[in-house]
Amino acid sequence: MIEFVDASVVYPNGFRALDKVTLTIEDGEFVVVVGLSGAGKSTLLRAVNGLVPIVEGSVKVNGQEVVGASAAELRELRSGVGMIFQTFNLVMRATVLNNALMGRLSKVPRWRSLLGMWPADDKELALQALERVGIVEKSYQRASNLSGGQQQRVGIARALAQEPSVILADEPVASLDPVTSHMVMRDLQRINRDLNITTLINLHFLDLARQYGKRLIGLRDGKLVYDGDIADVDDSIFRDIYGRAITPDDLLEGAEA
Amino acid sequence: MTVPDLVPDATHDIERPPEPKFTKWLRWIVLIALVLPLMWSAAGLEISPSRIWKAPGQILTLLGGMFPPDWTGTPKTLELILESLYVAWIGTIIGATLSFPLAFLAATNVAPRWITLPVRSFLSAIRAFPELVLAIMFIPAFGLGPFAGTLAIGLHSIGTLGKLSSEVIEGVDDGPIEAIKASGGTFFQQMRFGVVPQALPTIVAYWLYRFEINIRASAVLGVIGAGGVGAEIVGRLRFRGDWPKAGAVLILTVLTVLLIDTASSSIRRRIITGHSSASRPAKWMSALLGAGKPPSTDLIET
Amino acid sequence: MTAPQDSLTPAAMGTIQRPEPPIQVSKLAVPLVAAIAGFAVAGLSGSQPVAWGLLIGAATAAFLYWQNLARSPALLVATVVAGIASLSIFDAILESRTTVIEWTLSARASLGWVLFGLVVGFAFSWASRPALPIQGVIARSIATSVAFGLASFLALQAGSSIGYIPALRGREIDAGAIQDLGTAFYVQGSAIIGGIGLSAAIALRVRNGALFAGAASLTMTLVAVNQIDFSIRELLRSFTRIGELADQFWPPDWAWPKTIGQPEAVHIFEPFVETLQIAVIGATIGCILAVPIAFSASRPTAPNYATYWFAKSFMNVVRTIPDLFWGILFATAVGFGSPFAGALAMVMFSLSIMAKLLSETVDSIDLGPLEAAKSSGSRHWQMVQYSAYPQVAPNYIAYALYIFELNIRASVVIGIVGAGGIGRLLDERRNFFQWDQVMAIVMVIFAAVILIEVFSIWIRKKIV
Repeated sequence: MIEFVDASVVYPNGFRALDKVTLTIEDGEFVVVVGLSGAGKSTLLRAVNGLVPIVEGSVKVNGQEVVGASAAELRELRSGVGMIFQTFNLVMRATVLNNALMGRLSKVPRWRSLLGMWPADDKELALQALERVGIVEKSYQRASNLSGGQQQRVGIARALAQEPSVILADEPVASLDPVTSHMVMRDLQRINRDLNITTLINLHFLDLARQYGKRLIGLRDGKLVYDGDIADVDDSIFRDIYGRAITPDDLLEGAEA
Repeated sequence: MTVPDLVPDATHDIERPPEPKFTKWLRWIVLIALVLPLMWSAAGLEISPSRIWKAPGQILTLLGGMFPPDWTGTPKTLELILESLYVAWIGTIIGATLSFPLAFLAATNVAPRWITLPVRSFLSAIRAFPELVLAIMFIPAFGLGPFAGTLAIGLHSIGTLGKLSSEVIEGVDDGPIEAIKASGGTFFQQMRFGVVPQALPTIVAYWLYRFEINIRASAVLGVIGAGGVGAEIVGRLRFRGDWPKAGAVLILTVLTVLLIDTASSSIRRRIITGHSSASRPAKWMSALLGAGKPPSTDLIET
Repeated sequence: MTAPQDSLTPAAMGTIQRPEPPIQVSKLAVPLVAAIAGFAVAGLSGSQPVAWGLLIGAATAAFLYWQNLARSPALLVATVVAGIASLSIFDAILESRTTVIEWTLSARASLGWVLFGLVVGFAFSWASRPALPIQGVIARSIATSVAFGLASFLALQAGSSIGYIPALRGREIDAGAIQDLGTAFYVQGSAIIGGIGLSAAIALRVRNGALFAGAASLTMTLVAVNQIDFSIRELLRSFTRIGELADQFWPPDWAWPKTIGQPEAVHIFEPFVETLQIAVIGATIGCILAVPIAFSASRPTAPNYATYWFAKSFMNVVRTIPDLFWGILFATAVGFGSPFAGALAMVMFSLSIMAKLLSETVDSIDLGPLEAAKSSGSRHWQMVQYSAYPQVAPNYIAYALYIFELNIRASVVIGIVGAGGIGRLLDERRNFFQWDQVMAIVMVIFAAVILIEVFSIWIRKKIV
């Protein structure tokens, strides 16, 4: 369970990216976050695993408080929260398997990771994660040799290898073409259903949000402006979140056309 | 630890690829390739664990002996440091002025092959001699003193700057050259308006960088009597055992070099604003190494 | 056939104003030279500080007025007054000299010019005021005064060696003689100080340092040429002696090991292997030790600010010490003639270069993978190893091979100060004036350096 209580994030340059957000996400939920760029979507996700400075309020993940947690507690918390990025954030020169193994870093002793002597169990987990996203046959190739969609699946495998209870996906399809976008979204949906992993996704495209989401959170200028079932969302609510009418640019199919 | 099954049975039908043998062994091959020469060298130089064990203590003794430094000779030291600076400056001026035309002759996009080939060989030949070795050869001809040292530094700088500048010239955009050619420009106009404006900022930055390196080189030349502060350090440490004074000389030298490095690198960064970060040596190196061309090797040598 | 010029833009003509051309640096070169000439002429009256200051102030004011940089009478008068006041101070301090003009006196006397520079800098930047805040005016004034002060210091310091201040010899100093300042000093000194100072003020005004760089470089070159007695004539004269010298160097003497009564055939080979071994140890250990320092000295991979600062400072200081000084230091510490000292020196040498190159490469890596590692809960150094290191690995290998090349050349050199290897042999033969034997050693060094360079380039091409 993820609980935000009056959580605010202020960056060192004084920008208030998140403003007194209160919300609760139950285990196993599939939540889509929408909003204009700069509305605080990425910040909301990064508040969950403590990558941004939370200046007030409280954020709890499975009962562990993020605000004021020690470095070790934060590492422990992060090891249970997988993250997927818009730009994949793979180490391009490393093999696919090594990228997936990075999800296990927090679980192996220092000397083992230093010498690169991975325990067989961890290797098995990484290979299984790669199998789940259907990319195991590329295990020993360099990440840079893969296509964009394949690279994002390696990113998902890396998060899965953590055996997480929560997955945060920050604009996971923004760098992909429509066909691969749908494939990646289906992967995430399946993972959420099969493994009961709480999933929080930032999306830019409204039609993707409608198609895959269950619960929708709308952010505007760092404030929570909508939180509810996606089925109830109509154009006026979108207009509320975006502060303007919907344009073709806000739709995956529209952008494609 | 039990491994929980992440994968439902359905996806098991894709076979896992075998781990490539080579990467498995690579680590050991690299390790052996590093350790064997190291052991051979250590044995050859009679470096035993006990000597390594003793070394930090000996170094601390030396450093302790240098403190507190004896500042009585400061005016004389500053004069010698200044002399080193002058030697480095003139050496850089010689290197810059003579390497500039040579760089055009060594650039394959400007000069024909039958010219670039001998010019390049000449440049790499003079680069192969360390400044100190050149200075040793020059001393019988020009006598002891800064003159021989200046020539040695100048000659070596021609080699390094010539190579680096020619690589800069080879990297310029051909478009402007073609445009000038198309509007009827002569060869010299093509160079003056097509190549020089593109290449000059980087080349000037290299000159400054070379000056920084030459300061170190000229500080050293005093050791063989070719002028500058080097003689002072080696004399105090080796022949007179006057450690506190040597400490003062060393500190003054380091401070001067640090000061000039800082000033010079900020000027370099300013010269190349626009692609400001490119003034950093590592980026030049990476760019040159990554381009698949023979890597530029003379950027940071001392 | 000539087309009418205005046909390209018939309708637009006259409606859009052509922009005011910016002040061109090249256009300022001639007035600058004229002003410097004015300074030099003013120097003719150098022995009367008031007249000297008046003329120099007037030359500066004329330049300001002519180039339309400052036309307010108050500023122009202030410039002239500052000239008189500053040079009176300068002169008064110089008059207090007892024997030679040493550097402390030069520094004190330069205060006069610092004062002048302050006012000149103010006059130069005052006109840009609404756009330039008052702090900017003050900063430029201070910068100009520093330029004048340094130029004055340099002119006084270099004076006796360039020859416009007669040098005193030891006996004259003992007898209490005082260094005279002739007209030559006032003329040349004024020109040098004016050239550097005014071009600095111009550079700050037009935001272009080209003129200043030119003036400063030219002055530095003139001073340096005089200081180290560098002369092209001497160079050419020495070329005529080349034939005679070549006889001493050529042919190289390959047989000499026998002549000094030691077992033959070991003399070049053995120290040469020693040099190679020193280079291997230096490059390997240095490159390995440089890794943690390099990652600590780069912002994204430094564990905390204190470590970052410490690693960065350590790196910068170590880098300023030339290879040969490391050789001397370690030879003093662990014993002269010991190759162990050479190996230690080469470790420091390699470390300083590798740390610098690698940390700058790390500065430019993609930060995404670092965030990914951090978000999965990895420890700091695990993140560095798995996310940062692979990105710089090819550069690291290329740098390491290159450093090995440098080590070969450098370890030849450090032998000369008693740190083992073939350099020791070179130094020994040189001290016996056995130039033909020196030549043989140099040829071996040359061949080895070329050979290793070719080999290293070949490997680098394979790897990268």
